[in-house]
Amino acid sequence: MTGSTYSRRRFLGVSGLAVAGAGLAACTGASNDSSGGGSDSGSGSKTLRLFSYEGNETLPLLKAQVAKFDQQNGTTTTVDTLPGSGAAVYPDKLRTELLGGSGPDVWRIWGGQIGAPYAKAKQAADLAPYYAKYGWESKIGQLAVAGMTFDGVKSGVPIVVAGIGAWYNKALFAKAKVTEPKSYAELEQVNDKLVAAGITPLGTGGKYGWHIMRLYEYLLETAAGPELHDKLLTGAENWDRPEVVTAFTNFKKWQDKKWIPEGALALDPADIEPAYVQGKTAYTITGSWTEVSAIQAAKKSSSDFGTFQFPTDQSRLRHSGFVEGYMVNAKSGNKEKAAALIDFLVQPATVKELGITNSPVAGAEPDKAKLPLSYQWTEINKSSPFYTIQDQAFPKQQADQYFAVQSELLQGKMDPAAAAKRMQEIVSAWAKKQ
Amino acid sequence: MATNAVATEVRAASQAPPRRKRKHGGFTPWLFALPALLVYVVFLVYPAFSSLFFSFTDWDGLSPTYNIVGVDNYTAMIHDEVVIQAAINNVIWTVVTIAVPVVLGLTLAVILNGKVRGKPVLRMLFYTPGVMPLVAVASIWGWLYNPDHGAVNEFLRLIGLDSLAQPWLGQNSTALAAVMVPAIWLRTGFPMLLYLAALQGIPYDQYEAATMDGATRWQQFWHITMPNLKSAHYIVLALSLIDSFKVFDLIYATTYGGPGSATQVMGTWMYFNVFQYYQAGYGTAIAVVITLVAIAVGIPYVRSQTKEHES
Repeated sequence: MTGSTYSRRRFLGVSGLAVAGAGLAACTGASNDSSGGGSDSGSGSKTLRLFSYEGNETLPLLKAQVAKFDQQNGTTTTVDTLPGSGAAVYPDKLRTELLGGSGPDVWRIWGGQIGAPYAKAKQAADLAPYYAKYGWESKIGQLAVAGMTFDGVKSGVPIVVAGIGAWYNKALFAKAKVTEPKSYAELEQVNDKLVAAGITPLGTGGKYGWHIMRLYEYLLETAAGPELHDKLLTGAENWDRPEVVTAFTNFKKWQDKKWIPEGALALDPADIEPAYVQGKTAYTITGSWTEVSAIQAAKKSSSDFGTFQFPTDQSRLRHSGFVEGYMVNAKSGNKEKAAALIDFLVQPATVKELGITNSPVAGAEPDKAKLPLSYQWTEINKSSPFYTIQDQAFPKQQADQYFAVQSELLQGKMDPAAAAKRMQEIVSAWAKKQ
Repeated sequence: MATNAVATEVRAASQAPPRRKRKHGGFTPWLFALPALLVYVVFLVYPAFSSLFFSFTDWDGLSPTYNIVGVDNYTAMIHDEVVIQAAINNVIWTVVTIAVPVVLGLTLAVILNGKVRGKPVLRMLFYTPGVMPLVAVASIWGWLYNPDHGAVNEFLRLIGLDSLAQPWLGQNSTALAAVMVPAIWLRTGFPMLLYLAALQGIPYDQYEAATMDGATRWQQFWHITMPNLKSAHYIVLALSLIDSFKVFDLIYATTYGGPGSATQVMGTWMYFNVFQYYQAGYGTAIAVVITLVAIAVGIPYVRSQTKEHES
């Protein structure tokens, strides 16, 4: 009996020490990992990981091109994706992966204040040497490159310069006997006629904030004009002014006159944006990706739809826009291959295969026959500049506060003048932190 | 004689040199606990203390550097309107999502404990929502609440209550209540099962005796059923309280804390600060406060369990 007890204790003791040893060894192993990121890709490794937010419509295209790159370079690249919520959730996952030490080698990200934190925290590599090596500066539009440059450091390679405009259903416009508006007053008339015909004009949703914000930023551009709008976004001008109040007043009007769906604040953009393709709303505010991801994905013909810039009544007609690009993990053990992958992805032939309809790469314009509406936006972009979309103009916290003001206004809990004052408080508090 | 012998033994023992006492088994229990303890220390204690440390910094959650800011993050919470709103929402959420499912669960358990046809099917039906993924539940209820073509508003219009149809998730006045409905739907099955098990353990002769004495069913419920469910009440309330306090995913997936910040709770607001606003120091300070409140709330349960164990 005693002997048996002794041997069991001894066994447990040895087991306990073994577990403790294994645990400590694991801790030691973790701390010795100097790479801290990338896909276990030590120097010279042939494995890469690419993280993106491609949806089901375009993911197979990306995977096919990445496979082609792998074939040519003898690499093995894993493609991970997190589609669905726009910029609401994707950056969180990316950030968690980077902090967890298993971040991707290459990731896709939006410009402006969404991409900036990765550059400022030096999680993203300085790509200046690769700009020189691959000559990206001469192949990619300067405006786009500026959108992925943070504090003078080229931290990303742009792959998309998206212009935001109106995309409409021709059949519903015909039913309401309306045509593309040429002024803001005409747009209001179009909305009234659509409502009279039993059609909800603009399909937009406020869940996450950023989609319905596109309407407000257009109204602000219309009321304030380009110069003042730009200054407002940087905090150089006071928001507590008549132009901002006018924009908020018009914003409320769009809801009160039922020009946006009932209860728009709670609608998910992923559900409501494609409603114009389904014939449930007359138009939406979006970019040219919608031609592939909504119109053609629904097996509809582009000829049944139209697109136009929202009229601002300003001498310089601008539209909302943003930049997207690829960044390389500063801790990647295989930056050379990561940069080579990006160079492959920005080749005009690859861009066309990827179905990117708004690339800043020279020679990668969309095919006019296959993507006529996207091509139309390529032409618009040549003559019309864009202002930074507002969820990228502000850091996420200020963008959320901005949306909270819009939400309070639409619910009648705040009047336009109070909304303008509150915006000034938000922007000035942020500007002071800079 | 025997008394004298014992007294002599006690005296002898008291005069003998002191022997080392083995308190609580010495080193051996620790050895048994070591594997679990290691996991606990590595995955809970260390991160908890690490978070506590970061709550005194201005770390953005991404950069390699940070500054120590003392208790600034804690004092900032006092002036943060959203923290106040979130704390109020947490209290409302906790009260409603405990009280309603517990009452409903008890009612269903009492009904199912009687002579009801199709008991197993009904039990499964009431418990099924509790095992569904919360994100799926959020999507389902998001569609049900759709202001234009959602089933809730469609039903109201169908029965002539058009004026009650409204954007349930899109306005501050109804959003939190609207999210609490699926929470109640999800959480009724669990107390029902626990109460049902407890009800089946109550001796039937108590009811027979009460019936013989002329007690009504209501009197039997209050004087026999409820006292016999005392321990079940405790478990249900304690677990429901902990569950309510952890609320995050249903709100995050249904309203994303909106409209504005109308449905923010402490858990989501902590997440927004740490993961979206690059204010990890401030976010972890919120997490520390949540933890302290959860511990304070959990102490009575732990103490009662300890007492029960010792007795």
